[in-house]
Amino acid sequence: MTRTTSVVALCTLSLLAGSGSFLAYAQQNPAPRQPMSFFVTSVGLGKGANLGGLAGADAHCQQLATAAGAGGKTWRAYLSTQARPGQPAVNARDRIGTGPWYNAKGDMIAPDLAHLHGDTIELARMGNNITKLTDITEKGAIVPGLTDGTNPRDREVAYMREHPESNRHETLTGSMPDGRAFTDNRDHTCSNWTSEAKGVSDNLRENTGANAQVGMSDRNGGGNGSWNSAHGTAGCGQDDLARTHGIGLYYCFAIN
Amino acid sequence: MTKTQSVLAAALPLLLGSAFALAAQAPRQPMSFFVTSVGMGKGGDLGGLAGADAYCQQLATAVGGGAKTWHAYLSTQARPGQPAVNARDRIGTGPWYNSKGQPISDTQAELHGDTLEQAQRGSNLFKQSALTEKGDVVNGVGSTPNTHDMLTGSQPDGRAYTDNADHTCNNWTSSGAGSAQLGHSDRTGGGNTSWNSAHASRACSQADLVATGGAGLFYCFAIN
Repeated sequence: MTRTTSVVALCTLSLLAGSGSFLAYAQQNPAPRQPMSFFVTSVGLGKGANLGGLAGADAHCQQLATAAGAGGKTWRAYLSTQARPGQPAVNARDRIGTGPWYNAKGDMIAPDLAHLHGDTIELARMGNNITKLTDITEKGAIVPGLTDGTNPRDREVAYMREHPESNRHETLTGSMPDGRAFTDNRDHTCSNWTSEAKGVSDNLRENTGANAQVGMSDRNGGGNGSWNSAHGTAGCGQDDLARTHGIGLYYCFAIN
Repeated sequence: MTKTQSVLAAALPLLLGSAFALAAQAPRQPMSFFVTSVGMGKGGDLGGLAGADAYCQQLATAVGGGAKTWHAYLSTQARPGQPAVNARDRIGTGPWYNSKGQPISDTQAELHGDTLEQAQRGSNLFKQSALTEKGDVVNGVGSTPNTHDMLTGSQPDGRAYTDNADHTCNNWTSSGAGSAQLGHSDRTGGGNTSWNSAHASRACSQADLVATGGAGLFYCFAIN
């Protein structure tokens, strides 16, 4: 590790840790920077929550990672699908390997599946290290969140496209807080990531139709700040996602 | 309650910054939660729980919220002849709202994650909702100076520590030796997203608190 790299790594650690003891630890143990194994897609696929199923979503992860020089790993989208006749449910948490996972700057997101999801009450109360400053894109950019680029038009697709600084914190997961697929009869995955259908109401609370469960990449808003399961959307089209500050982004994890 | 119903119920509370907020035209709730806009200036010495409570009351009164009874979200540890006090037992039962009427949490169980599902989901306490009594967002990681370290002296479940180490700056009377457990108002840093128990302070002076991103701020809750 060059001196410049280690200084940058230390600054990053101290910024994120916010803790003197953590900084002291980092200074004593200058570990080599870990390669990226986690990112938020810098762009969506452009067709709302129609991602071409899990296969299409995985391919998008792989393509973005490859463009960022990380194509040597095998990438999976953090998405669940619901059971259909002859087709069992798929849990997002079962698709992403076992960790640990690091972002594009080498910061650890979580050491394992149990920390990532809070499998025990102690782990769940502490939470993982997914925050607005750590769940960055494959390019290392922060995903704009609540109160960023605030404008009355920031719920319109055209405006969001033209203004990359506007809020787009709603992240597709189709998952429950524990990282598993929903087991009820409602749609939480936009028909397993193949649909751009409208919901039955623009009011999320009344939308029992087409929708996708989303998390908050900035851990702000949505009633609970959950990274993977805050609430559903108003529908599955690009316009529907935009209505609540989404643009069809999602999490990608390397399984190796 | 079925699993489906409970998932729905958990998603129903007002969703800040989302289209939901526009749809909900409930009357604005009076403030029953805030982060102190400034610290008391003597590090971990708050004059004990009584001093900290009085400070909450004083700040609330200055912005017209003095009719309620305010308590600091702080635990104290057991001492000879003096039982421990749990922060969570001091703050009433909720629901609590910030100075803009936005919900922080409906219940103790949601605030502290008393069930696994509640703990995984978290409460509505995050950077943009954990406002001061004046309605300001508290500086977090990335802002200068970062003042996100909140004095709590508490474990993640909101209860006092039971070991022999100091986690409360000697029950909020020390501005020198000792240590205080801290939460993060922006739920960022320290490798976790805990609002009430992220890491320990270096020691108890004001400079020690500043050193790790603090200013001696703490949470205040109205119990009524």
